[in-house]
Parts: sequence; C-alpha cells; structure tokens
Amino acid sequence: MKRVIEGSHAVAEAVRLAKVQVISAYPITPQTHIVEILSEYCAGGTMNARFLRVESEHSALAALIGAQSCGVRTFTATASQGLALMHELLHWTSGARLPIVMAEVNRALAPGWNIWTDQTDSLAQRDTGWIQMYCEDGQEVLDSMLQAYRLAERVYLPVMVVLDAFYLSHTYESVDIPTQEEVDRFLPLYQPRFQVDTANPCAFGQLVPPGAYMKMRSDIAGAMEGSLNFLNEIQREFYEIFQRRYDPVEAICCDDAEIIFVTSGTVTSTCRLVLQELRDKGEKVGILKMKLFRPFPVAMVREAASRAKKIAVVDRNFSFGASGIFAQELRAALCNVPEHPPVFGYIAGIGGLDVTVELLKEIYWKTKNAAFPEKESIWMGI
Amino acid sequence: MNEVENTIPLLIPCSSMSTESNKTGSWRFLRPLFDEKTSPCSAACPAGEDIARIEMLNAQGMFKEAWETILRENPFPAVCGRICPHPCEAVCNRGEYDEAIAIHTVERFLAETASRYELKPSLPRLTAKKQNIGVVGAGPAGLAAAYFLAQLGYSCDVFEAMPEPGGLLRWGIPLYRLPIDAMRNEIAQIESQSVHIHTGQRIGKKFLQDVRNRYNAVFIGCGHSRTIEIGITGEEISAVENGLEFLKRIRSGESPSPRGLSAVIGGGNTAIDVARSIVRLGGKALILYRRRRRDMPAFEEEVQMALEEGVELRELVAPVKITEDGGQYILTLQEMKISGEDSRGRANILSDEGKTHELYVQHVFKATGAEPAEDWLNPAEKPGTSLTLSNAVLVRPDKGPALVFGGDLINDTMSVVHAVASGKQAAMALDVLFQDGIEAIAPKLRACLVGQGPSLSMEMYMGGNRLSRNSHVVSYNEINTDYFQFQPRIKQPRLLREERLRSFEEIDLKISTNLAIREADRCFNCGICNQCDNCCMFCPDIAVIREKGNQKRRIDYDYCKGCGLCVVECPRNAMTLKEEEL
Repeated sequence: MKRVIEGSHAVAEAVRLAKVQVISAYPITPQTHIVEILSEYCAGGTMNARFLRVESEHSALAALIGAQSCGVRTFTATASQGLALMHELLHWTSGARLPIVMAEVNRALAPGWNIWTDQTDSLAQRDTGWIQMYCEDGQEVLDSMLQAYRLAERVYLPVMVVLDAFYLSHTYESVDIPTQEEVDRFLPLYQPRFQVDTANPCAFGQLVPPGAYMKMRSDIAGAMEGSLNFLNEIQREFYEIFQRRYDPVEAICCDDAEIIFVTSGTVTSTCRLVLQELRDKGEKVGILKMKLFRPFPVAMVREAASRAKKIAVVDRNFSFGASGIFAQELRAALCNVPEHPPVFGYIAGIGGLDVTVELLKEIYWKTKNAAFPEKESIWMGI
Repeated sequence: MNEVENTIPLLIPCSSMSTESNKTGSWRFLRPLFDEKTSPCSAACPAGEDIARIEMLNAQGMFKEAWETILRENPFPAVCGRICPHPCEAVCNRGEYDEAIAIHTVERFLAETASRYELKPSLPRLTAKKQNIGVVGAGPAGLAAAYFLAQLGYSCDVFEAMPEPGGLLRWGIPLYRLPIDAMRNEIAQIESQSVHIHTGQRIGKKFLQDVRNRYNAVFIGCGHSRTIEIGITGEEISAVENGLEFLKRIRSGESPSPRGLSAVIGGGNTAIDVARSIVRLGGKALILYRRRRRDMPAFEEEVQMALEEGVELRELVAPVKITEDGGQYILTLQEMKISGEDSRGRANILSDEGKTHELYVQHVFKATGAEPAEDWLNPAEKPGTSLTLSNAVLVRPDKGPALVFGGDLINDTMSVVHAVASGKQAAMALDVLFQDGIEAIAPKLRACLVGQGPSLSMEMYMGGNRLSRNSHVVSYNEINTDYFQFQPRIKQPRLLREERLRSFEEIDLKISTNLAIREADRCFNCGICNQCDNCCMFCPDIAVIREKGNQKRRIDYDYCKGCGLCVVECPRNAMTLKEEEL
C-alpha cells in the first residue's frame, strides 16, 4: 500500500515488518523520529519487541550485542556523535559476527554544532567491518532495511543502512509499504548458527592465539566478499516479490559516457536531473550511483567507469589530510586498471549545504574543461 | 574454537569449558563485606528499637515478626505509637530526601494488628534465675523493668498504690491521646510474661525494710506525683487546682465542668493536656507561659493541636498573685522580657518592671511541673556505693537489697519511651550485678549500645543477631538515593476539629494495611539488608551467593575480584569495602 511517509518512518515500517525482537537506542537528532515511532509500536503492541531505553549510544549497541548473541533479531539507530560513541562496539559487533542492523542518519560532526547532513560520520567507520548501504529515497530506505536483515543474517556481519539527514529522514514521500505476508516470504525468521543458550552453556569472544585471530579476521574479509554474491541473489528474490531492485552500483547512461559523475545518497536524485539536461544538449555524461560502500564493489566500479574519459566524484564528506572518501575509493579501485580515467574530486554539500543542479553543472563543466585534475579535491560552493 | 559448516566462513572463539577453574578472587585487593550498620532512627530511639528492620518486615507484610522486633526492645508499641514524641523521625535520613518516615504510625499499626489477631509473641527468655525483684510503681518505667527482668529470667512483683496499673498512662494522659484498651492490652501482655502486679499497695519508706528478706533488689520508679509550688501569693486558695489531680479526676471517671474561662499556668505537656481537657468539658482555656511558645517543653505537635481546638496561649507572662473576688479570681500577671538565650536556645527571661496587668478568670490550674512525693525517693538520700547510669541510678546500700531508681525520678526528659529506656537499663544493670558484680556493669552495658548510645538494646544484651551490627550510624550521603523515588509521607487521618471538641474520642484514626505497607516501604532501611539483591545483579563474577532457606547472601571470595560494584549499588549501605590484609 502506498503511503506518504517520512524517510525515518520508512525505516520504522521496515523494522516492524522485519519482526525485530529487541530495539535499543538513544535519541539524537535527526534519528529520533525512527525510534520514537518504534517505541510507540512496542508500547502499543503493534510490535512484539522489547524496547530498551539506555543512557548512551555505547550502551545501546552493547545491549544489542547481548541480545543478538541470544539469537534474536535486533535494531538500533543513531547519527553523528552517537555513532562516534559506538565506535569501540562497532568493531566488536563484526568481530563477534553478530548480524545487527542499524539505521544511520548522516549528520555532521561537532564542533560547531550542526545537525544537517554530512557523510563523514558513517564513512569514518569504514574499517569497522560493517556493511554500509547508502539510500537515495524513502522507498530505497524501506527496501534496503529489509535486504539488510537478509544479508546480515546470511553472512554474519552487521549492516548499516545510511540515509541523509532531513533531505531523506524528514522528507515525506510516497512509499510502497509491503504487506506482512510479502515480507515474511522474503525475510524468514532468524535462525542463528550460534547463540548463547542456557541449556547448552558456552562463552564467546575469549582470548585467542595470533594464528586463530588472523584466521578469524580473514573469515570476516571472506564474508565481506561473499556478501557481494549474496546481495545479487537477494536482489533477484526481492525483485520477484516486490518488482524493485537495487544494485550495489547503479550505472546510469554510463555505456557511452565520457564523463561519469560518482554520487551517493540524495545527491544522486539531483544529479539525475542534471544528466537529463546535459544529455539533451548532447553532452555524453553518466552517473555511477554508489549504493554499497562496504564491501566496496570494485569489479562493478571498474566495469562501469574504466571506459569513461573522466570521473567526477561528488563527496559530501572529507578525510582531512587526504581527500573526499568516495574519491579515494574510486582511485584505489581504478589504479590497477591500465589507462584508467583521471579522478576529479569535488567536495560539496558539507554540513548540509544544498547541492543544487547549478552546482553539479558547474562540476561537470569544470571537469570537462580541465585536461587533468589540478588538485585532489576542489571545494565547491564556498 | 569451533567452525560451523557453511559456505560463509565463520570462525569465532567459543568455549563450553567452565570458567570455574579461573579463580578470579586471586586478583582482589579490596574485599566487599555484608556489614549491617546502625540506622540513625534506632540510635535516636531511647528504647533502641531496631526501626530499620521493623519497617522492612512491615513492608514485607511480616507483621508479627515486626511487632516482635519492637517487643524485644519496648513492651509498649501501642502506647509509644501514640504518645511518644518520636525523636527517631527527627533524624530520619529520608527527611533529607523528601519527608521522614511516619515511624510512630507504623508502630501503632503493628500493635493494632497484633491486637486484632490476638497474637501471642514468641520472645526469647533466659533460664530462670534464683533472685526475686520487687518493683515499686506500675508506671511505664516499673512495668518495663519488670518486663525486661522477666525476659532475663527473674521473677518480679510490681507494687502499685492506685487501683489499676499504668501510672501516668492510666491516670494522667487524656483518653483522646491514649485510649484505655491500647494501654491495658500491653500491660496484660507484660503480665503474661509472669510479672505479678499488686495494685492498691501504697509503698512507704518502711517497705524497704520489710522486703529486705523477700527481694534481692528493688526498682523504684514511682515518678513525680507532687506538683511543684509556684511560690506566689494566693496559691494556697483551695480552688486553685492542681493540673495533674484534675487529669486524674477525669481519668477516674469524674466529669468536672470548668465553666467559663480557666487559666492554666505552665508550658509542659501537663498544661496542654489540662487545657485540651477543659475545652472538651465545655470550658475555655488560656495557657499562661512565662517564656515564648518555642521554649515550651510541651511537644510542638500537641501545642499545635491545642491551638486548633481553641485553646489560647499567652506568652511571656508570669502570675505573681491570685486573689478571690466573688466567685471568680483575679490573676495579677507580670510581663516578662527576654534577655538572651541559654545554651539550649531557650529564652532567658526577666521581669519587665512595672508592667503588670490583671486577668479575671473562673478557674486556675497549676501545671508547672512535679517532683517526687517523698524525700526517700531521692537516691542521694541512700548511703552506700552508687552507680549513676544514663537513665537509672543503682545504689548498693551497706545493708539490704540493691536499689535502682528509674523513670521520671532520674530521667531529664520525662516521656514514656525514656521510662522504658530506664526500666531496660535497670534490668540489665541488675542482671550484670547478680552475675558478674557491680564493676562489670559499665563495660557490659557499653557492649549493648545502639550506635554511639545512650540507647541500649536488650536483643544485643541477650546475644541476638543485632550484636553483629556495626555501630556506625548511616548518614544520608551514604544512601544510594538513585534507587528511591519521591513519595510523600502518609497523612495521619484525624477526627475533625468539631468532632474532637465533643468528646474524649481518640483523635488519630487507624490506618489501613496497604497504607502502612506503603509508608514502611518508603524507608531507606539504612544500614540493613532487605534482600533487594542489587549485589547479586551487579556482581560481574556471580560471586554473590543467595543461600537457600535463610534469606542470607554471602560472597564467594574464590571469585570475587573486589571490584566494589555491589557496595556502590547497595542502596542502603549494608555493605562495606575493605582493603585486603596482606
């Protein structure tokens, strides 16, 4: 059934439909709407789940680590400083192979205090072993949440579903909310391969010797790689039931494109308009929409982008002392491809600044008019 | 380590071996202990009642056990629940948080519950001793002395001049404060502990000679029954009534009718009782007090209720002359002025020279304090070795039985609970005297102090569980108030003012069981374990062990790392963290 709902509520509807059993969160703008509605669902009996109120994000994730270890499906949501506070436990979650799913609303890190969108919070957690999916609209948010549970519980890795503050979290859009029967078909109950069980007592996570540790780490790497295959399988099944699919990267008009925009999040939607306008003028432009950031879909990126003449990466984030983070990843993915196109890095929309059609067109012309990137990152709009 | 077969590699450390072989107790350098301490209320209670435990038992619905816990220290819960000035509540730690626990209300509730179900207490009693003890005066001090002596195994005879025992409880305190059955039930309970009361036996000086061969010791607690003269002109006029006598007449069944305006001279509880009785008998009462209201020795709550009932109070006036004038009296009042305060904060007063005025009244009552009726009731009169204790004086004459003076004869504060404290101290002192000699009295009594004293615990004296309590008195900042929620103190239901003025019906009404439980549940239970099990829940090593059956907890030091979480999370400071001895 189609309803006009907020991006935050698209997350909450997915959590309800996924029959999550334990939710633990600490409120933080712009995430609060998600757990607000979930707490109502738990209190009112719409969901048969325990909602744990905790004193911090660190505790929120710690509580879920305990709950998930007992073999139940769990959820949390956070943003910005809250995610930063979880950092230690983000590592623990993946190391313990717990398929926890989190909604992460991209918000700028303080100081100065800023509640608007910026991807640095989630991208700064790229090495914690969490799968990361970035969403473009409310429908993709709901669908990605359902897929996240399927994927997490298949590969035993946690998944972060990431959405832009306000542009997505607080914007009302038409979203098709599936029925419980449809979701049940796609997402069966969680059947853990291991769990804490009082009938069969055991302990997890104790001291291991270096060799075993290294094997554990290589298993996580293997699971990350394997998730790319499973995601493909999951998309197929998802499409059969819901007639929608989301590939790890969506290559839009890339086949004959000379300049390819690389975008993520809601910037992609704006860029689609720019693409239309430029194509109408005869410009050979394409878009590579990055849905999956971890694992980074290197092969798909190479296939879609290496034939272009130039790559223009729009980063709503920055790694100080280096460059935009998507640009880094693109460069790393392409560097072993002979004669690969140069990567132009553009920093735009930091701290929630609008990324407009005009700004994207300016990026296009700058890229077209330069033979080679004059510097690693160009800060746009300041 | 195990690997679950699947296409996705999933190596995780997993062990089904018990961690019991890892004795984490070897890491410990701090040792948590269950260390029950002393609550401020119990230390402030002259009878040393184990209040924190009484409230805990009441909150758990263990009413008989709670009542028996009172009876170990005080035979008069129904009486004290009503007329004790409850110094316990003034020091209640909960008072710093929201409002003090209504300890007296819960105490009265327990006594009433015991009475409603005709409960018989099971109290420990030591083996019978060969000594017999005589008690002079069946007021609260004498009755308490006999009650505790009976617990210690002595047989006692109590001699009372009046036709019924109770002393001031029976003949002084008005019925609206203390209904007669409340007192009679408790005296009957004392008698059932093989205490023999002989009424109508006036004891004179010669009695001590007579009983020398019959008793090994005599407790003298016959109180103050002679009103002190004010020393003013006209005092001897026969119509100037003695306040205590007036109260006794009412309690003997007379209904005097003090029509018109009565002047009541004094500022103590007797003055208040007289004035409130006059109001109930249809008269008007005016209390004349030479200091200020806040200097009055009467209990503040009683003064407040007297004023509510229409009693008037004139402060800073002293009668200097009473004259008769055609059926009424003229009181000449000297106005007083304040000249600083004494060490206790009471006003020092001086005559405000030249300022006098006259007051026409129909009756005059004196309630300016009382003294022993006979000189021989003063222990200083006795030759021999004497030992002065906090609430009793023991005299060992050169010849004859040991004498202990107690109750109002000795106490600075003349309240029923101080009388109980006196009887208890006398009983302990006599027991030590007989068993170990006079030298042993002071050290043996010191071992039974509640907190820093002067209150004494009979349970401790008899070797009960309370002996293991740490004498440290728990302060408010030692309570973990995170575990408590604000909740107002119970509001004592009372007769309406209009109903009070029509009769001597008891003013304070009964409370229901659920209210009593709720009130007792507000108690922090300072220093004692109420089995809340926070220690068990917070222990990361599962080293707090719940013992089966006896409700006790113990720490398994093989595994306790000494992190101290249990001590910090104990809401009521019933645990202590100590450095390990190396």
